[in-house]
Amino acid sequence: MSVWKAIVVAALATVLFGAAPQVRAATPGVLVTGDNLPANLDPHQIFDVPMQLYSLNVYDNLYRYEGNPPELKPWLALSYTVSDDGLTWEFKLRQGAKFHDGSEITATDVVYSFRRVLALGKAPSGAFKPVLKPDNVTAPDKYTVRFVLDKPYAPFLAATPIVMIVNPRVLKAHEANGDWGAAWLGSNAAGSGAYQLDSSTYRPLERVDLERYAGHFLGWADNPTPVNHIQILPTRETSTRVLALLQGSVDMTDSYLPTDQVERIQRSKGVHIEKDTSMRVFILRMNNKKPPFDNVNARKCFAHAFNYDGFIQEILKGYAVRNPAPMPNNLWGYPKDVVAYEYDLKKAKQFCDKAKAEGAPIGRPIEIHTQSQLEQTNQAAQLLQSDLAQIGVNLKIVSDTWANITTNTSKPESTPDMWVHWVSTYFVDPENWIGQMYDSQFNGTWKASAWYENPKVDALLRKARVTVSQAERKPLYEEATRLVVADSPDIWVYNTVEIRGVSDRVKDFHFSPVGSGGEMRWIKLAN
Amino acid sequence: MLRFVLRRVLLAIPSLFGLLVLTFFLIRVVPADPAAALAGENATPSQIAEIRRQYGLDRPLYVQFAVYCAQVARFDFGESAYSHRPVALDISQRLPATLELTVTALVLAIVLGIPLGTVAAVHHNRWPDILLRVLSVGGVAIAAFWFAIELQMIFAMGLDWLPLRGRLSTDLAAPSTVTGFYLIDSLLAGRFDLFVDAARHLVLPAVTLSLGGLATIARFTRAGVLETLQKDFVSYERAQGVPARALIWKFVLKNSVVASITQIGLLFGGLIAGAVVVETIFDWPGIGFYTVQAILTADYKVMLAVTLLIGVIYTAVNILVDLVHGLIDPRLREQL
Repeated sequence: MSVWKAIVVAALATVLFGAAPQVRAATPGVLVTGDNLPANLDPHQIFDVPMQLYSLNVYDNLYRYEGNPPELKPWLALSYTVSDDGLTWEFKLRQGAKFHDGSEITATDVVYSFRRVLALGKAPSGAFKPVLKPDNVTAPDKYTVRFVLDKPYAPFLAATPIVMIVNPRVLKAHEANGDWGAAWLGSNAAGSGAYQLDSSTYRPLERVDLERYAGHFLGWADNPTPVNHIQILPTRETSTRVLALLQGSVDMTDSYLPTDQVERIQRSKGVHIEKDTSMRVFILRMNNKKPPFDNVNARKCFAHAFNYDGFIQEILKGYAVRNPAPMPNNLWGYPKDVVAYEYDLKKAKQFCDKAKAEGAPIGRPIEIHTQSQLEQTNQAAQLLQSDLAQIGVNLKIVSDTWANITTNTSKPESTPDMWVHWVSTYFVDPENWIGQMYDSQFNGTWKASAWYENPKVDALLRKARVTVSQAERKPLYEEATRLVVADSPDIWVYNTVEIRGVSDRVKDFHFSPVGSGGEMRWIKLAN
Repeated sequence: MLRFVLRRVLLAIPSLFGLLVLTFFLIRVVPADPAAALAGENATPSQIAEIRRQYGLDRPLYVQFAVYCAQVARFDFGESAYSHRPVALDISQRLPATLELTVTALVLAIVLGIPLGTVAAVHHNRWPDILLRVLSVGGVAIAAFWFAIELQMIFAMGLDWLPLRGRLSTDLAAPSTVTGFYLIDSLLAGRFDLFVDAARHLVLPAVTLSLGGLATIARFTRAGVLETLQKDFVSYERAQGVPARALIWKFVLKNSVVASITQIGLLFGGLIAGAVVVETIFDWPGIGFYTVQAILTADYKVMLAVTLLIGVIYTAVNILVDLVHGLIDPRLREQL
């Protein structure tokens, strides 16, 4: 009878007061994060936010972004020089840094790593392939690495943190059919980072265990009581993820929490919300090659029909910052005087009428494709749909997937009329946003899926790409941004505020937009 | 009997080949380009073309199909485009988890469903019957994810009796693999602590998953028993003075469960499909989540292998169901 009584009491308590979780004692010294894992563990094959969580801990790079706003800091490299023509880059390496197997990291290892990235040709190579040939990465001496680019490329330095340095001695022992050890490294590690992988317990997408590497080149003087063991245990369902946090079996969640879960964490004891302005821009795309969006007035009509404040304040409960241009507003090259499109249905109607008078087929049903598993993309589409309906525009929402949409954006005919996505920080340079989004030479990639073409913008962006000095590049990007915004090729909504639930026992969590706060070496656990 | 089994197995081969043809071509018709998905977010069109060539995706479809058939015949399902591990290895690590969950759920559904249905039929239109009707309609109608979250809230969060997620506590190492079922392997290893831990993790997901099947089996058993109770032999046995309890549980039930058993065969397919939701909520490391991930990333080799595998399991279970039919009802055995 007492068993039943307990169940009934618990059920009633749950219904009446919400969860009253019993916080269990978390394992001392073990940090458990419920964030996502990459599809495999090779940092030269995968390049996404989950990979950064893994690779920033297990590997090192030449330079590394730290802090918020992110600053480029010397890491395995101590310094660099660049020739006046912007073609030859030389990096001086730190001496004595060691891989997990105890061997020293030298210039030949860096050369091997860059050549491997270029040879595998996967996502991380995208920023280098157009300007760098494998043979042009060389090691003039033990601690110097030289890159000779085919043409000047200002974002080169900003992109170098993409390449993690791997240990060729370990990899060559596991090569099969000239695959550069790709099959083996997918489930193993060959790094030098602050933590090393325990590959015996690894299960793809399910579990990674990391042990602290006492011999890391930075030493541990700045954090005498670090976390010795990190477990990455992705929880798939947001609700389970948050329950696990409240219960104490997980110390951190991901940063894509819906607002109701954020409020639930805020109401609970022993946990809190980490809130950090990031560099991830939310965008509603328009296919500028397809009528009616080949008409600037039609595009302006749509830009005025989105309820920016309603979306940010009501749906996201203020956890985002209005960002009316393609670049995040906390990056250099963002023009402070840019004129935003405001939500104004009267203006929207005027622009639509004008477009109609010019022959744009405003009356046809227009499709907006959303990413079905990302609720925010649906919410944004529904909001736009309801406002457009008021001015007589018929918007149809199509549920779609990232893989499918990005395949279809390769041609203007198959690119959806509209679609919804974010552009995250792959490297901290305007090239990552406006450069690759609106220079028409990139049309056909998902980033440039607006199919925008403006010779003046092309010229500015191309000039900025080959100019080395940031002071000279800044006005070029500002001018290009003003021109792009005036043409209204897309609808830019907000810059992300990353919100993650964190246990109170986690101290010194450091956030950087690059890697979404995934680097763990600073963290301490209070008990 | 042996001839019957042989015939059923031989008949299964063309249907499985049909499944192979259908899935191969259906998946390749889907517009998502596996090469583009594989190349990643920052790939250029020429990188995508190179990957297409590297993976043989530029060859004619029928050539790709022939290559695939030859591989499947050797139980080689290729490599996952993402984890770079053999698909067969990834599946062999996950399938036992899914089977342990679904078999437990099925056993729960049968062990509870048949007696419940029988009790309801015997108390036709009285309170046990009405209660069962409410429960079984609820069992079919309640969304699994809602039920799962309620169970988590009550038993994991509120009472802290059962674990919230996973298949084993993270500080415990899995027992060495013999069957892949933790419940069995832990006992084989003589580790009773592991057995208890695995069983505790199994309770909430198995109960969630069994709900729909339990309701269905109970309904079908109730209908079967009600029908049999009208039969002449029941009146005869009753007149002979056979005690009511023996009459119901020995004679009536055996004559009533044929329809329920057919349902069990069909349910098994549904359970494997339902496992996708349950595995997601409870972080159960089975093939459900693995498959969803493969679909989202257009990892077509995984999709093909999993579809084929589920087809094989489904076919095998239905052959088994036919066998059990034959065992229960000698008339059927003669017909086959």
